[in-house]
Amino acid sequence: MNGESLRDLWLTYQSTVAFIGLNGLLALSVYTTLSCGQLSLAQAGFMALGSYASAILTLHTSAPFPVVLLAGTLVPAVVAIPLGLPVLRLKGVFLAIATIGFGEVVRIFFVNLDFTNGALGLVAIPQRTGLVAIYLALAGALFILWRIRGSRAGYALEAIREDEPAARTMGIHASAYKLSMVVLGAGFAGLAGALDAHFNFIVAPANYSFGRVVDMLVYAVVGGTTVFYGPVVGAAFLTLLPEVLREVGSRVGLQPGPLRLFVNGLVLLLVILFLPNGIVSLPRRVRRWLETRRAAAHAA
Amino acid sequence: MGQQIVNGLFLGSIYALFALGYTLVFGVLDILNLAHQAVFMLCAYVALALVVHLHLPMPIAFPLAVVAGGLLGVVVDRLAFRPLRGRSDSNISGLISSIALATILEALALQFFGPDVERFPFGIVPDRSLRLGDAVISELQLVIIGIAVSMLAVLTWVLRRTTLGRRIRAVAENPVAARVLGVNVDRVIASSFFVSSALGGAAGVLFGLAFNSVSPDMGRTVELKGLAVIILGGMGSMPGAAIAGFALGLLEVFTVAKIGSSYRDAVAFGVLFLVLVVRPRGLLGPAALREA
Amino acid sequence: MRLVSCSVAAAIALLAHPAAAAETVKIGAVFSLTGNAAAYGAQQKAGVALAADEINKSGKLPGITLEVVLEDDGTSPQQGISVFDRLINMNKVSAIIGPTLSTLAEAADPRAQAQKTPVVAVSNTKPNAITTIGDYIWRVSLTEAQVIPSAVDIARKKLGFKTAAILYGNDDAFTKAGFDVMKSSLEKAGVQILGIQTFSTKDRDFNAQLTALKGLKPDVLLVSALVEQAGSIAVQARQLGYTGPIMGGNGFNSTKFIQLAGPAAEGVLVGTAWNRASLDPVNQAFIAAMKARGVDPDQFGAQAYTGVLVIADAIRQAGLKGGRDDIKAGFAKVKDLPTPLGKFSFLPSRDGDHPAAVQIVKSGKFEILE
Repeated sequence: MNGESLRDLWLTYQSTVAFIGLNGLLALSVYTTLSCGQLSLAQAGFMALGSYASAILTLHTSAPFPVVLLAGTLVPAVVAIPLGLPVLRLKGVFLAIATIGFGEVVRIFFVNLDFTNGALGLVAIPQRTGLVAIYLALAGALFILWRIRGSRAGYALEAIREDEPAARTMGIHASAYKLSMVVLGAGFAGLAGALDAHFNFIVAPANYSFGRVVDMLVYAVVGGTTVFYGPVVGAAFLTLLPEVLREVGSRVGLQPGPLRLFVNGLVLLLVILFLPNGIVSLPRRVRRWLETRRAAAHAA
Repeated sequence: MGQQIVNGLFLGSIYALFALGYTLVFGVLDILNLAHQAVFMLCAYVALALVVHLHLPMPIAFPLAVVAGGLLGVVVDRLAFRPLRGRSDSNISGLISSIALATILEALALQFFGPDVERFPFGIVPDRSLRLGDAVISELQLVIIGIAVSMLAVLTWVLRRTTLGRRIRAVAENPVAARVLGVNVDRVIASSFFVSSALGGAAGVLFGLAFNSVSPDMGRTVELKGLAVIILGGMGSMPGAAIAGFALGLLEVFTVAKIGSSYRDAVAFGVLFLVLVVRPRGLLGPAALREA
Repeated sequence: MRLVSCSVAAAIALLAHPAAAAETVKIGAVFSLTGNAAAYGAQQKAGVALAADEINKSGKLPGITLEVVLEDDGTSPQQGISVFDRLINMNKVSAIIGPTLSTLAEAADPRAQAQKTPVVAVSNTKPNAITTIGDYIWRVSLTEAQVIPSAVDIARKKLGFKTAAILYGNDDAFTKAGFDVMKSSLEKAGVQILGIQTFSTKDRDFNAQLTALKGLKPDVLLVSALVEQAGSIAVQARQLGYTGPIMGGNGFNSTKFIQLAGPAAEGVLVGTAWNRASLDPVNQAFIAAMKARGVDPDQFGAQAYTGVLVIADAIRQAGLKGGRDDIKAGFAKVKDLPTPLGKFSFLPSRDGDHPAAVQIVKSGKFEILE
């Protein structure tokens, strides 16, 4: 491959690489609450808040980019507190439903906000995000989660995830931990939203629908939610898949839209049924399977 | 004013029918079946195909589509929920696998039916209308409201008076005890899915007829409104779902009439929130919320 | 015998391979083949394919073969952006036609502008936008601001309405822009607006909004919607007993509307950028050719077809050169080009310029309202 075709390959796929980074960050935002056993689906709403806050700052003030990003991260994090307090009392499915509702309320709020052109959203946002910014943010999020993992907080979160009532009796302040995770997830989603807004030129409510948070959930689950880097693997896999499929699909005569949807659904179903700990558990599974086969062969 | 009441009851009857199926499965399995809206959508297509390609009249196509919906529900149970029974996190993983199945079904619909909105052929249902004061109600709308109410009645009767209904209630109460008492739990669950999806499918066909549109994404908004309905009515309560369905329909319509159409969708979620924060068990839900 | 067959073979070989090597100019076509705008995308796909085939066969561009690379934007901005990137960098197209909706154009066109690739918008009708993105963005489709005011005027002279109500979709760039223009046209014409209601592109039930508007007893109902909802709105309005005239924006401009609305489509008025009844030979030939391919053409098909004609003319004007900057320079020289839309030129703002008209649905077909 000569230099020019490498460059073209790069230009063609640079947005894909960027989207992998962004989707990875979004997947991590869903993971933060999953890691303590809560299914919170409000991240599309948090992402929207981050996108809008940062876009408004960029369009109306001359704030430097890092400040804009900080705003995009903090606004949803702050909003997450009054949301989290009442809602974290709810169990499982009810929490999921309440957070879905929150996400939709945020979306409808922006659809009706004339200041931001309602449904049309904000356009012509200068492209200030580069791949460096995206991957720095992703690395930062991974670092934070890695530090939490091995710490006392990390063990507490796992205990909550395994058996919340038992954890409480052991003196763990489950509510405080759960709320912190919601806030952290909101921050990640907001940061991703701010980066996204300054990469894609537009911020529009349609981007922050229920379907969006389902995508994020799919990335996290397919990648694997037992380790902190799992969701990023899932995001990379599922962002690359449509690109690969586009080639295959057009040769076989299938429509690209339905094919991508179908494969997303199928991958998710297969993972949830057969590989519940996600793609990252695949190497271990394969190794174990090989070992049992080897042992059987030896025994024979 | 009268017309808006008609509009609200009409919209509400479809919400109620959809929510009945939703809440039945939740009552039995403690699981939210998010593939319900895909069955809703596919049944509309089944009815459409029966009418357009096999030239069946509506009174025959409708029950056939409803039965197809029930069968599809059994398939959903088999593929998405049964393999997970026994797993500790089966509520969350069940939710996720139903989302996966819904995505697959929607993709299949997109591939085979295309993304365009279709409509039932003109003249498939009589076009007559009645005037009640200053309100106009079409025959179709009356029929739809009637079907929704009668399905609720039938469902209530099945649950209270038949053996199947007793078994369903037993499994809903305590699956382990039911199994010990000799109930074939898997079969009962499959039956519940049949009934639930038949209701959802019926809602889909009626929706397609009512609003002249059938498209692969028609389930999406109804799904979210359906959530608000079952929360308001109380998870697992049939009468609750019915009342809440009609209530939401009326609420939405009057929001449009008095406040403005942009807030129409916000009403459903506002109600959802309020209920979850103030009275999570909804109007008629069980007093103690089981660990979901 | 062998000598004859050899010469026949040689003759065939010569005829099959022209003496000069043909240059292939790639044109990217990005349309909504799936998603909300798929009805329009299907027409556009057909229009572009027809135009490219005709031009290649006609020898209008000697030595040049047009190759259309078709992609689906899925009515999704993210997909639109990725597809644009691919076409520009992987397929190395000389120009892009599309995307279908203004919302997507606002997301994807800036990338083409940044990478110096000309874009011809053939269905984006949002005024004061699109071409404002940059000098590589050109537009064939008339904006709502060019079509609606004259449509409202013609309709008012014919029907004499004094009050109006408006129903529009508030979460799409195109339908919202249509609403803005409808409102200002009505105000300029001195028509009193009695009420305004909104809906979202996912809505299917319009009974509440229509009942509210009907209760105000307007002389005319203006609707700005995409085609799939346009059909339902017309049906539900008639079902509720509203008997007054209904006038739609560009979204109604599709045979799919008539198909979806059935009897309710009778008498609906639509402003149009394409006068299908025009007896202009270019227009008639276009309609016949599309019908021969099994497509009953609508405005979207005509505009997409014209988009390719314009690109071909630009190539010719640039001296039969098919590079990106050649085409861009060629656009500026396109003047009174014969197209199904009429004689076409670009305005200094790079927007399209040709006459508009008003249609009325009669007996299940669009007819021009004289």
